[in-house]
Amino acid sequence: MENIRNQKIRDYLTETLKNQGDKQPLTDSDSLFVSGRLDSVSMMMLVVYLEDEFAVNFKAEDFEVTLIDSVDAIASLIASQVLA
Amino acid sequence: MSQTKASRYSDQGMRAVWAIEDNQAVVAWAQTRPGKFALLVLAFLALCTTEEWQEALFFVTAMGLFAYYPPWRSMVFFVSTYTVAFFFSTASIDDAISEVALTEGFVTWSPVALSYVALVVFSFLAWGLMAYARYDKQSLLTRRPVLTLLGIECLLCLLSYKGIFSGYARLALWSLLSVLTPYFWFLVYALVDQRSKDRNNDLFQLGTFHPAWGGSSSSPIGKGAAYLRKVFAKTPEELAITQIKAVKLLIWAKVISITRMLLTWLFVGHFHIPTVSDAMDASLQNHAYSLGMEWASLIWSVIAYSLKVAIYGHFAVGAGRLAGFRLPRLSWRPLESRTLIDYFNRFHYYFKELLVDFFFIPTFFSVFKKHPRLRLFFATFMAAGVGNALFHFMSEIEMLETMGLWCMVETYHSYLFYCFVLATGIGISQVRANAGYKPSASLWGRIQSFFVVWGFVTILHLFGDESRNHSLIERMHYLASMFGWF
Repeated sequence: MENIRNQKIRDYLTETLKNQGDKQPLTDSDSLFVSGRLDSVSMMMLVVYLEDEFAVNFKAEDFEVTLIDSVDAIASLIASQVLA
Repeated sequence: MSQTKASRYSDQGMRAVWAIEDNQAVVAWAQTRPGKFALLVLAFLALCTTEEWQEALFFVTAMGLFAYYPPWRSMVFFVSTYTVAFFFSTASIDDAISEVALTEGFVTWSPVALSYVALVVFSFLAWGLMAYARYDKQSLLTRRPVLTLLGIECLLCLLSYKGIFSGYARLALWSLLSVLTPYFWFLVYALVDQRSKDRNNDLFQLGTFHPAWGGSSSSPIGKGAAYLRKVFAKTPEELAITQIKAVKLLIWAKVISITRMLLTWLFVGHFHIPTVSDAMDASLQNHAYSLGMEWASLIWSVIAYSLKVAIYGHFAVGAGRLAGFRLPRLSWRPLESRTLIDYFNRFHYYFKELLVDFFFIPTFFSVFKKHPRLRLFFATFMAAGVGNALFHFMSEIEMLETMGLWCMVETYHSYLFYCFVLATGIGISQVRANAGYKPSASLWGRIQSFFVVWGFVTILHLFGDESRNHSLIERMHYLASMFGWF
């Protein structure tokens, strides 16, 4: 289940990067936003995707870009919301 | 550093020739003592002018100490920030204070001395606020720092307005307001960071309040301590690469600065192109310049402003990189903007980030969750429109004394219009980008994008200057006349 979820996240991000002309491989620990690899538009699109696909509930005052800055971070976020 | 597509951090194509930070031998040399010294000397030469060499020398020394002596970092950061504030006048607080000092009869008091006292008092208050934010993480200050500080700002405006208080009380309140305003967004970033588990100590946080590299801009270049922690070079190799990029950017800033001087000599000194304000005055007095000259005036104004932002940004970011912070460029190839949202991202990155952090994100996570396009548009509008207008209104707070509140608002109509139109354009662009719209990558597509984006920016520039010399109606009338409609 976790593997399927993580693969979905990887596929989404790989497609997003490809749309921006970035064909470099993506590892699960690669920084997406702090490194500048993706911009704030992509960040918001990712937020919408996570809300729709995984029912992630973001709160404005708790939001930090590090929560979704890598595949690993996103997976942890989803897992923490499932447990909560 | 990862080899990604051309970004604010790396170079590709023709620029690869100059990408000496990719040369391992150069990077290795930059980690030696002679290498480090050479980088600092080059940075000094790029930064200094004949009048300000002392400031450049102090600055390069401070950034070098920060980069190379980790145990001293917080102290160096704090001392460098406050040394620049006290001795090199990064924020024109004394100008704002002097108006009220004169009005209240304190003619012999030095506005500069008053501004120093106000800055010290503010720093202690900021320290106290940070401590309180840590103590009570559920307080309004911690959860909603922008709203809370805006409330304090409004209260100070009200209390220091003419007729409420007078004498010492009014001067004290006004002095505090004059310091809070330019330091507002720095304090907000610091308060937000109090929630972080790995936050920096208070000395470091205070060091982020108008850091030495940022000049007098009210928008934090490098954001706050949280961001600086993330982007700081993690290894000696990364530090060396960052410092090489710093020197390159400082040299590039110098080149653009010289280019701007030459262009100014050419267009203003030789071709006598008037300022937009002068051209508007002439038109309103029925002594209009030729249509060609009016357009030349507007286009030159856009070019000059864009170069000014780039020069300032490159010097600031280059200086910050010298300390080891892998800061993205403030202005990054804005001429290559493909859409308005792209332009907004490229033109002034840190101002955009401030608007995203404190206006876009809170709005985006609060409203219209079931209507994605409206949600995105509204959040963008709040950032590029409301946030933009509020930021710039606050940055001229001294006009509360010189003009009064009503006149201050009345003369702001043109900039409000500018924010409204800009925000609408960027909002639509954002929604289209979200829907997958991409302009054509062909040569013709790129030319079209350039003219659409920069045509929009140029025409809107007529309403975006903060001179307050002309009303919205006058500017609209002038724009219509530029198209031959009057």
